[in-house]
Amino acid sequence: MHPDKERVTFWYGCNVLRHGDIIHACLDILRAVGFDPAPVGGPDYCCGTVKDANQVAAGGMATRTVNKLNAKQRERVVAWCPSCHSHMSDFMDKANERQFGMTYLVELLHSHRERLAPLLVNRVPMRVVLHKHVGFQDLVPVNRMVPDLLRMIPGVEVLESDYVTPGYMCTSFTAVPRALDDILANTVSTVRASGADAVVCVFHQCFRELIGLEAAGAIQVHNYIQLLARSMGLPYEDEYKAWKKAGDGATAMIGEKRIAAVGVQFYERAVLPELKKLPRV
Amino acid sequence: MSRPEIGAKLKAFQRKEVERILSSCTQCGKCFEACPMTPYSKAPATDGKAVVPGVLAVLRGEQGSPEALGWLAVCMRSGVCVPACPENVDPKMMMRLARMTALGGRGLPKQIEAKEDPDYFDRIRAFAKLQLSEEEQKDWT
Repeated sequence: MHPDKERVTFWYGCNVLRHGDIIHACLDILRAVGFDPAPVGGPDYCCGTVKDANQVAAGGMATRTVNKLNAKQRERVVAWCPSCHSHMSDFMDKANERQFGMTYLVELLHSHRERLAPLLVNRVPMRVVLHKHVGFQDLVPVNRMVPDLLRMIPGVEVLESDYVTPGYMCTSFTAVPRALDDILANTVSTVRASGADAVVCVFHQCFRELIGLEAAGAIQVHNYIQLLARSMGLPYEDEYKAWKKAGDGATAMIGEKRIAAVGVQFYERAVLPELKKLPRV
Repeated sequence: MSRPEIGAKLKAFQRKEVERILSSCTQCGKCFEACPMTPYSKAPATDGKAVVPGVLAVLRGEQGSPEALGWLAVCMRSGVCVPACPENVDPKMMMRLARMTALGGRGLPKQIEAKEDPDYFDRIRAFAKLQLSEEEQKDWT
C-alpha cells in the first residue's frame, strides 16, 4: 500500500510494558499508515526521568539511551511515552548529540489522518470523554488532537467536558495521594455527569491509574489506541485490565508458565499486589 | 565518552540553567499563583512572592523554606507557570532543577524525601516477560 515506508524507531518507553496490547497495536497501526517501525523500550532504553534524585545515574541513562537510539540509524524516533518525549527535549539532548528527529505518536497519527481514516472500518458505539491534563500541551496539543482521531472512528461520540487535571500524567500523583483521590473522584463524576459510557486516556500512565476505576465497577476506561485498534479489527486483548478486574484470580489467568518466568516470589511480592490494588471510589 | 564526561555535560547544562534562572527571576510570584498544585502542599501558602525566594535559595544550594519545599514536593510539571511568567524564566525548569536539588540529586544535601521503589525496574522487566514473547523481549528491550 505504501511502497516507500519510512523507517522509524518506535521508542515506547518503560512502564507501557504492562500493556502489551497497546505496544502491539501501535506497531500494527504504524505499519498500516505507512511506516516501518523498529520497536525499542524497557529499562535499557530508560530516558532517566525517574532519577531526579540521582543526576549522575540520570545523566548516564540519558547518554546510554541517546547512543542506542543513534545506533539504530533511523532518521526519526516516534515516542509513545510523554515523559520520555519531554525529557528528551528538556535534558537528554542538551547533554548528548542526538542524531535523529523526534515525533510524538499522536502528532504522527494526526498528520496521517487521511491514511488512518479508511482503516477504521468497524463501528465502536461509545460515548466518551477525554481524560485531559493541563501539562504537555505546549509540546504536543494532545487534548485537541486525540478527539480528532477518536471522531474518525465510526460510532464513537466524543463529549465535551470542562474537567482538566493538573500535571501531565497521573502516575506521578501517587506521591500526592490527596490529589490523586481528587482526580479519580472528579473523573468519575465528570463521566457520569456527561452521560458518557467511558473515559478515554491518552497516556498509559493515566490508563494504569484510572483502570482501577473500571475494576472497582465505577466507570469504563480505555486508551485511545485501543479504540483505534478495535475499529481496525486488530485482535489484541487488554490483559492488564482483565488481571486488575480478576484480583486474586489474575494468577490463574496469567498461568504457571508465565509466573515461573517472572519468579513466583517476585510475582507474589511485587506484581500481584499491584494488580489487586483498587482505588477508593 | 568517559564516565566523568557524561556527567559533566549534563551538570554544565544544569549549572548554566540555574545561573540563568537566578539572574532573571524577579520573584514576582506569578508562577506560584498560577500553579494548580499549591493546595496540596504540606506547608500551604498564599503569597507567591514569599515562596519563590525559598525555591531560589534551594537552587543556590541553601536551605529552602518549608513553604518552598512543600511546593517543590507537589510539583507535577503542569507547566501553567510557564506562560504566567512575565520574564520568560521558564518556571517549570526552575521547579524541576530545584526539586532535583532538594532531592539530593545534584550532590547537595537532601531537603525533601522521595519514595524510592526498589522494585521499579524489575517490575517493568516482569511485565515485559508477561506481555511480550521471548523473541520480542530479546529484540525490543
